[in-house]
Amino acid sequence: MSGPGSVPRGAGLPTGPRRSARLGAAAAGPPGLVAGGAGRLPALIAGAVAAVVVAAALAPGWLAPFDPLAIDPSAAFQAPSPAHWLGTDESGRDLLSRVIHGARDSLLIGAAATGVGLALALLLGVPAGLGAGGGRAGRWLDFGIGRVLEVLFALPGLLLALVFIALAGPGVATSVVAVGLGTAPGYARLIRTQVAVLRSSPMIEAAVVLGRPRGTILWRHLLPNALAPVLVLATLGLGQAVVWASALSFLGLGAPPPAPEWGSMLSAGRTYLGIAWWMTVFPGLAVVAVAASSTVLGRALSRRAAGL
Amino acid sequence: MLFSSRPSRASATLASAAAAALLLAGCASGGTTGSTGGGSAAPDAGDPVSGGTLVYASGDAEPDCLDPHVRGNYPQALLAGQFLETLFTKDADGEIVPWLAEGADVSDDGLEVVLTLREGIEFTDGTPLDAAAVWANIDHLKDPDTGSSTGYLAVGKIAEGTVEDARTLRLRLSAPDAALLESFSQPWVAIQSPAGIGRGQEENCAAPIGTGPFQVASWTRQDRVELIRNEDYTPPAEGAGHEGPAYLDGISWRFIPEAATRQSALQSGTVHVIDNPQPDAIAAAEASGALGHLDAPRPGASNRIELNTSKAPFDDPAVREAFVKSVDVDAGVESLFFGTARRSYSPLSSVEPMGHGDPAPFGVDTARAAELLDAAGWDERDAEGYRSKDGQRLSLEFPVSTNQSVPAEQSLFQQLQAAAKEAGFEVKLNLLDLSSWYGALFANDYDLVSAPYTKVGPDVLRILFHSDSTIPAPSGYFANLSQVKDAELDRLLTEAGEEADPTARAALYDQAQAFILAGHYILPLYDQQNHFLHSTSLQGVGATTAVASPVFHDVWIAE
Amino acid sequence: MTSKRTTPVRGRPGAGPGSRRRVVSAALRWLALKLAGAAFVLWAVATLIFVGIRLIPGDPAEAILGGPGSQASAEALAAARAEHGLDLPLTAQYAMQLERLAQGDLGQSYSLRVPVAELLAEQLPGTLLLAALAWALAWLLALGLALWSTLGGRGAALVASGLEIAAAAVPHFWLASLLVLLFSNALAWLPPVSTNTPAGLVLPVTTLALPLAGFLGQVMRESMLTAISSPFALSARARGEREAGVLLRHGLRHAALPGIGLSGWALGSLVSGAVVVETIFARPGLGRTLLGAVTLRDVPLVTGVALASAAAYVVVMAAADLAERIADPRLRAA
Repeated sequence: MSGPGSVPRGAGLPTGPRRSARLGAAAAGPPGLVAGGAGRLPALIAGAVAAVVVAAALAPGWLAPFDPLAIDPSAAFQAPSPAHWLGTDESGRDLLSRVIHGARDSLLIGAAATGVGLALALLLGVPAGLGAGGGRAGRWLDFGIGRVLEVLFALPGLLLALVFIALAGPGVATSVVAVGLGTAPGYARLIRTQVAVLRSSPMIEAAVVLGRPRGTILWRHLLPNALAPVLVLATLGLGQAVVWASALSFLGLGAPPPAPEWGSMLSAGRTYLGIAWWMTVFPGLAVVAVAASSTVLGRALSRRAAGL
Repeated sequence: MLFSSRPSRASATLASAAAAALLLAGCASGGTTGSTGGGSAAPDAGDPVSGGTLVYASGDAEPDCLDPHVRGNYPQALLAGQFLETLFTKDADGEIVPWLAEGADVSDDGLEVVLTLREGIEFTDGTPLDAAAVWANIDHLKDPDTGSSTGYLAVGKIAEGTVEDARTLRLRLSAPDAALLESFSQPWVAIQSPAGIGRGQEENCAAPIGTGPFQVASWTRQDRVELIRNEDYTPPAEGAGHEGPAYLDGISWRFIPEAATRQSALQSGTVHVIDNPQPDAIAAAEASGALGHLDAPRPGASNRIELNTSKAPFDDPAVREAFVKSVDVDAGVESLFFGTARRSYSPLSSVEPMGHGDPAPFGVDTARAAELLDAAGWDERDAEGYRSKDGQRLSLEFPVSTNQSVPAEQSLFQQLQAAAKEAGFEVKLNLLDLSSWYGALFANDYDLVSAPYTKVGPDVLRILFHSDSTIPAPSGYFANLSQVKDAELDRLLTEAGEEADPTARAALYDQAQAFILAGHYILPLYDQQNHFLHSTSLQGVGATTAVASPVFHDVWIAE
Repeated sequence: MTSKRTTPVRGRPGAGPGSRRRVVSAALRWLALKLAGAAFVLWAVATLIFVGIRLIPGDPAEAILGGPGSQASAEALAAARAEHGLDLPLTAQYAMQLERLAQGDLGQSYSLRVPVAELLAEQLPGTLLLAALAWALAWLLALGLALWSTLGGRGAALVASGLEIAAAAVPHFWLASLLVLLFSNALAWLPPVSTNTPAGLVLPVTTLALPLAGFLGQVMRESMLTAISSPFALSARARGEREAGVLLRHGLRHAALPGIGLSGWALGSLVSGAVVVETIFARPGLGRTLLGAVTLRDVPLVTGVALASAAAYVVVMAAADLAERIADPRLRAA
């Protein structure tokens, strides 16, 4: 029978002993561990996509044939051609170059948002996890943080992000924090569970018996072991953070033009949907490629972590 | 008769490319009478038939109040034009003509105006339109609790009013106002039932009561306003396409903010008319004839970029000139607007008879720009290639309101940004929501800005360029965004505003505009674009209010 | 598990067996817990926003009226200060805010100038319809895919997995654009503007459902695979049950469980998606209202929508809890 943990349970469930908060808890959505099945090919493809995207983000100038900001009104709205593989936009800018340069902004925003989410999650999850197996005060701490998370879960998806933007105003920095805030509760719950399980594991018990200082136990033993699955989750979550951040840009609440950020490119593309489909299709494919490959890679990593 | 020289209250240019080309920049009159241009009406559409509900899709912001007295913006005018009418209006030649009023007599000193009203007009609630009703409207506009901004300015010089008899209203002015009748032609000064106003703002905002061809039936927020025909309507004066009530049973006025969605909705037949179409869609419609096109540039100011002269670097005229000479507007307008917008060289809209344009100050000359900047001390280049002076980069803040600027215009600004970079200017383009945009203006945190301003008549120049307009209103807003403060310009604008003789008035406005253009206070772009695309089943499209918003009284649906 | 507190039973003496009383009291206890939890969540969300408004630099009255540069007049600012008691000490302001919320007064939307509660009541049904249909479609798609891939062997599993990952990776706004491009512009089959007619709902519902189906499908298929290879599935087969029966009886039930568990998450996806979908398909609803409110920084309206969806979340979670108890025999005993 499926014991706790083999069935990934959902994000918003109230914390409780019955609830397992394995991977599925994250805002990244349920990863669903495919046992064996798919083989290695998808992971290889995803790895290749990820390598290209990361290369584009690190050295866009090497890959891009043109300056992503170079304007040429006379070359506006050109369909894909040998000169411009992905066509040109309303100002005659080369779309391929913009998609390549866009990798940096989009990935940076996604990664920063994931980082913010993880940092917040550690802040909430570690004390809660330590408290869960501890004394009376610790259990109260766990209970308190659990309630805080519950409230954050009640503003799911983009909602918390949008509330935050309404208060703090739109912009790149805000959208990074906003997306981070939106993902933090999921990560936090996972970290809490990991820490709680580890805290009562024989390894930690042994360290305690051996009289190791508490700080050493925390930093040397607890965190590294708790973080491994979290990093898997971050890989899964990165793609979704990119999707969310691009959604905010699309709604005009994120990165402003003319920066070649995928979401704002898509927003511009939508304006010209009728005459320049390529302006919508290609930046969107880039977002989908990143999100899909991060899912596949994350799942491959988690399979490896689970020893499958 | 119907399609040859149909008179209309203010027929906009029913644009075909040819008709547009005939109009010369800066000296156009108010449109051509009853032009049958570009696909408006198929010649064999037959006799008008009554019935059917027109579905209109608006991309403008949904008003928060349907009473255009309250605040007073263009989206309100678009809707109000269907159910409210004005004392005066503009005819096909751009002349101000009486509508609900029969006429106005101005005293010799210009300080007294006697309005005579037409007989037998009633609001849709049965209240008669009389002098007391008109005064109640002016009073409503002047009441601070109403919160009127546009209408409030329009009636600003009216000091008091006396109801002489049911049809006669005597107005005393604090100063002569040559623009008063122009002001009375604006929907923001439209006349509503005093009984309606008396219901209180909340109720009146939901369904103002007027004399127009339609009336408000219901308003579902974030979705639509339903209008139904005013069965008792008949046009108060000559100039409408037909006598009697509207052909349409009603209008379903939907709010569809997404341009692409609006366009798809029109093409799929879900809606009959859309406003704010994409330029590429207009061009395609013109080329194929599959959709009708109404091109109705708004009166008042042209769309222009204002250069903030109140602080460095644009306090230096040479730097202003250098900026204007380094950016090529034409290429961008051409490619982004697909030939649907013509370049303007005037502070005024091309539909303003007193507009004065001059391309001379705006020729692109990058060599001259470089000379000017070198001479002005901006002769160093920093690591990123921008000019600098005493270690200070030649940097310009350009806040852009996404609510007030169409995507093509935002792309144009990006192109100007790229061109300015070549010349050594760093243009910081900030796309902002309306609130943050106002915030940037109030904080004087801008060097370049583009703000539309619609008003009937050249008096808009006084609002935009008189030094009084640099003083913020209680709301914080000030209209003189180039912040030009010049005694001579002030004198020209004040005198023109009080000058009763049209020829002398035009001469004064000519001088004022020449001054504004020569000083490089603004970079004119094009008329305030005001296009409407409609299904070819719609007949009789073309009549507009004085502010170029369409009126659907004459419109009918052919099957 | 029975509570002692519920012993003074309302029934006549000797009415009903004790076990039934126990069930009723357990149900009451469950309901009380849920209600308390709901009240807590709503209180906390309101508090969060109260604190948020006061943490951002600047004048809270200005923030309520749309942030700096909202052109709020001195009178409007004064009115907002009076309405929210901004001149009072923080604790008094807070008490005032909670009192108003407790009375169901969500304040006035400054951008639309109507009471927020009225607006929510007007906009909620459209969004509910959209979300409910999308949810149903996502379940159908996810379960269908899970069934098909389980029956279809390795190749089908690979295809299904690929479809799910791709669907889950597709941003709503992009999908909406592509669907309009294809079905409205090119083929002219479906209207690009959504109405509450079947044809008017197809595109927005599909847009919302596909990414959700991708996510749900991933966990459902996994769970189904585990279930049909589990010992009791084997024993069912051994008893001579047909494969289809095993699949339907055990596979589907186990596939449904993680789907139910993800209800809260799904709600988030639907609400976030509704923001985009309602905007693109020009559909009145809470999502479009929220986006407008965020763009204009209409804090009272944003607060209202946040509270409404937090309430929806609480309800959905309670329903999911109930559904899980019904679907999962292991929990029924508890």
